[in-house]
Amino acid sequence: MVSTIQNTDVKQKDADHAVVVAITSHAAFESGADDGDAVYREGVAFPLLQALQKVNERLLEENPAESLLFDVILITTDSQQQQQSSRVISSTRHYGLEVSRFCFSSEEDFIESLQKNNVKLFLTTDTNEVTQASQTGVVSVLLDQQTAVCSSEQLRVMFCGDAVIRPDTGPMPLTRQAAQSFSTQLGEMRQKFGMFDSPLSFILVTSHGGRESCRGALQMLRSRGVSVDEAYCLAGAPRGPMLSLVQPHFLLRDGYSSLEE
Amino acid sequence: MSEIKPNESAPAPAEDNGEEKDWAAAKAFFDNLKTHKPRPPKPRYAVTIAVSSRTLFNMVAERKIYEEEGVEKYVAYQLENENEPLKPGAAFPFVKALMNVNSRLRKLYPDSEELFDIVLMTNNHAQVGVRLINSINHYDLTIERFCMTGGQSPIGYLKAYMTNLYLSKDSEKVGEAIEEGIAAATMFMPKTEMELSDTQLRVAFDGDAVLFSDESEIIVKKHGLDTFFQHEKEFENKPLAQGPLKCFLEALGKLQRKFYAKDERLNCPIRTFLVTARSAASSGARVLKTLRSWGLEIDEALFLAGAPKGPLLQKIKPHIYFDDQMFHIEGAKELGTISAHVPYGIGQKYNRGKLIEPEKKE
Repeated sequence: MVSTIQNTDVKQKDADHAVVVAITSHAAFESGADDGDAVYREGVAFPLLQALQKVNERLLEENPAESLLFDVILITTDSQQQQQSSRVISSTRHYGLEVSRFCFSSEEDFIESLQKNNVKLFLTTDTNEVTQASQTGVVSVLLDQQTAVCSSEQLRVMFCGDAVIRPDTGPMPLTRQAAQSFSTQLGEMRQKFGMFDSPLSFILVTSHGGRESCRGALQMLRSRGVSVDEAYCLAGAPRGPMLSLVQPHFLLRDGYSSLEE
Repeated sequence: MSEIKPNESAPAPAEDNGEEKDWAAAKAFFDNLKTHKPRPPKPRYAVTIAVSSRTLFNMVAERKIYEEEGVEKYVAYQLENENEPLKPGAAFPFVKALMNVNSRLRKLYPDSEELFDIVLMTNNHAQVGVRLINSINHYDLTIERFCMTGGQSPIGYLKAYMTNLYLSKDSEKVGEAIEEGIAAATMFMPKTEMELSDTQLRVAFDGDAVLFSDESEIIVKKHGLDTFFQHEKEFENKPLAQGPLKCFLEALGKLQRKFYAKDERLNCPIRTFLVTARSAASSGARVLKTLRSWGLEIDEALFLAGAPKGPLLQKIKPHIYFDDQMFHIEGAKELGTISAHVPYGIGQKYNRGKLIEPEKKE
């Protein structure tokens, strides 16, 4: 059973143009065992939520009538948190998070919430949820402790240069199509800002290939409306030290299942 | 500073499984390429040289647009001219010479990762990267690794790439790198072009405040030459402390020994020079003894006893010459030597022997 509650603190977005991002309350909030009725503590996705909010703020600054905005909805599948649905809502309000709707559903039918809400990006800390959502063609990302240290001022989206340019062989899997159209929408948002001081940044990391892979990826992304800001071509150099500097919020796997790796 | 990398023969540390996987995948990628491009070496064992886009290529006109018309116009210009290869910059001959050493090393040691690794390290926006890559392709340079930071500081990335030497046109970044313990220098394009060797990498170093610390220079500036001579004689047997480029000389020496081991000493494609204002008779001994105590060899040591360096450098024809004093850099440039300023030590506070008054800040 799925129930949806609107957040009256926040202005609802234009359903035809907004980009819906669903995030689980597990990712947004840390629930302790004996917190009682207190407000939840910040979860790993907090900086990410703030960064999404920052993008919206800046988009509206450029154009107060802007409709291409992020529409963030909070999905609660955890039965314990469901029982404390008012706590989820009050915590959201407490932190002033720009969440427009709350969806409460069970593990079995949270997919329904994703579909009903036309979700373009699903963020969760649960690997099973990622697999399930990907299988239905929704771009899904697994968040973890790394996400917690990312910027809250700039949304940093990473693309992998090794995957982008592989030629199409056969029908496009659902997730791939979804990832491509999502990245095009992000590209559109990015265009509204200048070269520097943008609240949204695209980073290309090529791990195995060399400059040809990198160039191919830059041009391929460009043709899809994604103008990459930062590019790192490693050609086999260790990835760890680089990624800890780049600190992307998530990787958009334009070609492959998000569980590869 | 810029610690020397481990030997390949030494037992490898317990490595990150992820690191090995990435390396193996890159190896497979390059081995499968139809073009048989040489694959880049493992950073852990390589001598990594990071060059900025403005030192690798001549981007003077583009820079002008950036400064006068702003970043958006600059990037637009680069995009419009994407298929127009850039002209070579100050570090170009140096990079070609490094590539030549690599091909000689690969012939003698086909399985070794102890090679030069050239990385493009630029603040540029990634869209400009397409033109940079097109230009690299045009000259067929073996540069497969790069960082285009889109405006962020490159310092962290220099460390992440285990950089042994960083060359840039931006003296601020170079200064920061040196403070972080990375050998670095600001490059200058000479007014006239010199014909350089295409079979041998020739690197010239100043001594004090480049290979060695500035301790002796401090004495000259504060107490004059006579005190300096006395001091150097007295402490002849006490090695000088290290300077910012010492580890780079050490890395060059390590590669040189690989050629000596295969009986290629006479035909070694790396040659190093010390060009110092010290005089052989009085203060020179300490320098040679210091090098010896470090186990380092330098091929030719030239003691000028204060004579101008320009004419001598013209004869040496190095691919790069490192000095800490702008006065010498200018002299070298005038006569066609590609020079690189190392902003380190007390020499930065002086201009032509006179103390620069610090600007009064409001």
